[in-house]
Amino acid sequence: MTYEKIITLHVGGVHASAEPTVIKTLLGSCIAVCLWDPRARIGGMNHFMLPEGGGDGSLEDATRFGVHAMDRLIGEMLKLGAEPRRFAVKVFGGASVLALKGATSVPQANVEFVRTFLAREGFHLAAKSVGGTYPRQVHFFTESGKALVRRVIGPQVEAALLAQEQRRRQRPPFGDVTLF
Amino acid sequence: MPSTILIVDDSTTMRAMVRRALEEDRHQVLEASHGAAALAALEQANADLVITDLLMPGMDGLALTRALRASERFRALPILVLTTEGAGSMKEQGRAAGATGWLVKPFQPDVLRQTVRRVLEQRA
Repeated sequence: MTYEKIITLHVGGVHASAEPTVIKTLLGSCIAVCLWDPRARIGGMNHFMLPEGGGDGSLEDATRFGVHAMDRLIGEMLKLGAEPRRFAVKVFGGASVLALKGATSVPQANVEFVRTFLAREGFHLAAKSVGGTYPRQVHFFTESGKALVRRVIGPQVEAALLAQEQRRRQRPPFGDVTLF
Repeated sequence: MPSTILIVDDSTTMRAMVRRALEEDRHQVLEASHGAAALAALEQANADLVITDLLMPGMDGLALTRALRASERFRALPILVLTTEGAGSMKEQGRAAGATGWLVKPFQPDVLRQTVRRVLEQRA
């Protein structure tokens, strides 16, 4: 199988495809969830990070980031014809990267959020590689549902992760309201 | 005034978030995980408003809206679509199907409550 299409996901990104595609991303404390429908051969990935507390400091406000990232990914999969009952789920990230100073509560909160979310929604967890201290480079193959995970480190990786960390406090815009 | 509101969303987590936002205004909240379950729930209870997701397995939010507008009993029932879809063409489909309003996620709980108040006041 040749994969001609390669998509790189950054923080807040979501991509799903019914065409053979490689979705790749770099993870420090962030989480990437990969969903795969084996019958429809549709796969997708998101990449999200919970902030340190929300706008009002509550955990609920913080988890909204992850909930909406999951909602968008599931929605994109549904649009392509995927069936949630068949989803195989793979979860990556949530590392406490030693080179990056900062709260260690964030990666732990990320991992705990995704564990709780998947259990509540009744999704089947097929594989995970979470925690630890090394950043991860993930390649997800939407046609086969396979994921390749490499532990990576080096000045370029650290610079890329630092840029991600700085985006942590930026809040995604809220949606608008239209009354017809 | 507290009302009865039916939330339709395939995500348990999302339903819980919407429920918490609405319960702050003391609304009574009912839940359904897809369109067909919503129709069944509406037969059993007198809801004042439906808040529905768009993309759901089986009967989606647009199909639910069309089904309610085609029914004598629910023709005037307010329906708010709450979705990650923000494109104008999708909103137009919602308007054509008979939705009362369109809210794009992520939603702010207080904006959701204000919108619900406005829609319920218009109905009263």
